Amino acid sequence: MLKYSIKRLLSAIFTLAIILTIVFFLLRQMPIEGYFDNFDKMSEATINAQLREMGLLDPFHIQLKNFFVDLLHGDLGTSAKYLKGEDVLTIILNKAPLSLKMGLISMGISLLVGIPLGGAMARSKIWDRFGTVFIVFINAVPAAIYYIFIQIYGTTLLGINMKFDQTNWVSWILPVLSMALGNIAYYAMWLRRYMVDEMTRDYVKLARAKGASTKRITMRHVFRNSFVPMIQYLPSSILYTVCGSLYIESLYGIPGMGGLLVEVINRQDNPMVQALVMIYSCIGIVGLLIGDLMMGVVDPRISFSKKEGSR
Amino acid sequence: MHTIEDIKSKKLEKGIHEALNTPENEDELFTFADYDPSSAEKTGYSNYSYWGCTLRAFFKRKTAVFLLFVLLFLVAFTFIQPYLPGQYGDVTINDYPMSDKFVYNNQPSLHNIYSTVPEGTALSYSEIPVNDKKWPGVPDEWYAVSGKLATIRRPDRFTVLEYGEEWCKAEYKGVTGYVKNNFETKLKLPDDPTKTPYESRSNYTITLYATPEDIVNPDANADGWLYAKKETLDVGEEGIAVTNQETELYTYPSTYGFLFGTNDRGQDLWSRVWSGTRTSLYIGFMVAIVEAFVGIMVGILWGYVRKLDRILTELYNVLDNIPTTIVLILIAYVMSPSVNTIIFAMCLTRWMGMARFIRNQIIIIRDRDYNVASRCLGVSSGQIMLKNLLPYLVSVIMLRMALAIPGAIGNEVFITYIGLGIPVNTPSLGNLINEGRALFVTAPSLRYQLLFPTIVLSIITISFYIIGNTFADAADPRNHL
Repeated sequence: MLKYSIKRLLSAIFTLAIILTIVFFLLRQMPIEGYFDNFDKMSEATINAQLREMGLLDPFHIQLKNFFVDLLHGDLGTSAKYLKGEDVLTIILNKAPLSLKMGLISMGISLLVGIPLGGAMARSKIWDRFGTVFIVFINAVPAAIYYIFIQIYGTTLLGINMKFDQTNWVSWILPVLSMALGNIAYYAMWLRRYMVDEMTRDYVKLARAKGASTKRITMRHVFRNSFVPMIQYLPSSILYTVCGSLYIESLYGIPGMGGLLVEVINRQDNPMVQALVMIYSCIGIVGLLIGDLMMGVVDPRISFSKKEGSR
Repeated sequence: MHTIEDIKSKKLEKGIHEALNTPENEDELFTFADYDPSSAEKTGYSNYSYWGCTLRAFFKRKTAVFLLFVLLFLVAFTFIQPYLPGQYGDVTINDYPMSDKFVYNNQPSLHNIYSTVPEGTALSYSEIPVNDKKWPGVPDEWYAVSGKLATIRRPDRFTVLEYGEEWCKAEYKGVTGYVKNNFETKLKLPDDPTKTPYESRSNYTITLYATPEDIVNPDANADGWLYAKKETLDVGEEGIAVTNQETELYTYPSTYGFLFGTNDRGQDLWSRVWSGTRTSLYIGFMVAIVEAFVGIMVGILWGYVRKLDRILTELYNVLDNIPTTIVLILIAYVMSPSVNTIIFAMCLTRWMGMARFIRNQIIIIRDRDYNVASRCLGVSSGQIMLKNLLPYLVSVIMLRMALAIPGAIGNEVFITYIGLGIPVNTPSLGNLINEGRALFVTAPSLRYQLLFPTIVLSIITISFYIIGNTFADAADPRNHL
């Protein structure tokens, strides 16, 4: 297992380099109009001079080499447009903690509510009805819309300002809750699906014949087995909370990471895009790895290393 | 109670005694069966069919069947709607001339009440043959009317009855109306124009209007007609009608209103919602089909073939971490934004999620005993994938597919939100919801513009979710017994 994880980690570094190269290449394909605010009024000479100043006229491999050399020195560069001249790392470190905090709280809530809800749905008819209505509602109404509803009616109900205030804990409730709702529905839905699938298995029949109580069967046998497929996604979703939520952060004016990537891509702030892509890729790769390892730990029947007689 | 128990036990005892005491003939109890090869073949036969059972189990669930019909009706209706009588075009800007009222942001209404005209207003009328018009089916009790009473050509003279800064009340060939009085018309005025009546003449061809309001919006009278009921008009000579009561003027398909209201460009939301549903469902279906096909193929290979696992995992890591936004912007830059571009872009980014999902499922079951047994028996990998692994996953795949269609539609809403969606001119649920969402906070009276597309989207999602879940339950072979 250890050998497997080390191998995976080493290859992850290689993968990261490929991702960064591709993104670097794609960013250079973007229309050059995006670099200037008043492209139409500029003369060819000024455009060329500014492009040269940004280092965009060098041959591709030289640009790439410079980028990687800087990266290895721990220099992510400075923002070109978003906050001109500001160090990219400083910008991200300023924004990330808030998103992370908010995301982790909402993640905790959604796990604490979603999993018991899914379990209850698989066992009792009444909870199944209730949960299905909830899940259907959350899935049916576009997130962007019920977020607005929660904001408009929630803020009047709690008697607080529409805009987010970091120091006031009351204003944390609505954004965190909005973020959690979708995940609660997601966990409940899939846990129910897997649990219902497991309920008809032979080992459940055996346990029942053995005289185990329904509660014991659900908790010790069915729940554990049905949680295996969900384990895979758990580390990634926890790590990804650092990215924040685009809708919610723009609705409440939260100075977090949500929408930062979309914004810097739209404004073609290349150093920012590269830095963010690198961070997100690390999260994605590490998340997938931890997910795989956890799946192997929880269900020993699953193995990733080569086995005799397997293909 | 005792007596009943006694009677019962006595009966039972008697029965046992009788059974024990009757003499048994061994020859009657055991007879040899003849060997019959055809009946020996029969024993293994069962008329179980997987899909038959699945469908039977599915059709037992009333709610799901009902929603299936709702969904089919919805899909059919999106195609039928443009051919129904009296429909407005989905991109037509209903900017009808001839009225002081605008059709922008009209509240939903059954009847298309366009504007009202006070009693005694002169209107020119025209009995246009019904077939001459673009829209079919104008009822007989309607007149086409216009505020334009007559055209006064250059040498013609007319009498000014009343002088105004912007308009003059004038009489021309017995018809009283209003003419424009500004730099453009250059009316010939006497030294003191307030002393009326007097004879006047224009340097240009001018129009005699029914009401001064028509002059304020001169372009509105250029062409086009409104419709009024015959009974509200007294028709006089030379094509002039005078309203005998407060008359309501309707736009062309007269009795049909804007059921869902209109948007800020004066487009009919009813037809936009249906046309948008059609576009969105098309996007959803196409993306879901490609996603399912490519995702399942790659996912099974990825999960089952160990040699591919490393390569595909790394490939997934690479592809999954290239931000979708960059891909979308570049696609939008290379290809012109259209429905097909968005389908292409979504297919390009969404199949990976499906592949990873299938891969995780396959990893869980690939080393189960029955697969090991199949491998030991020398069944080929392809056979195992198709016959052992895939049927096992039908229920989860179905649920995932059912969610993929609304998911793709929701994704379109998001893509439109960040400004990379379908051009605003093409209605789609994403476009409609985004337009409505922007108005929801700023203009509470216009919330209906968000309401209707959201309701349709919700119905679609709910139907797919419930149908998908029911079908997933029905597709699980363990529920067939």
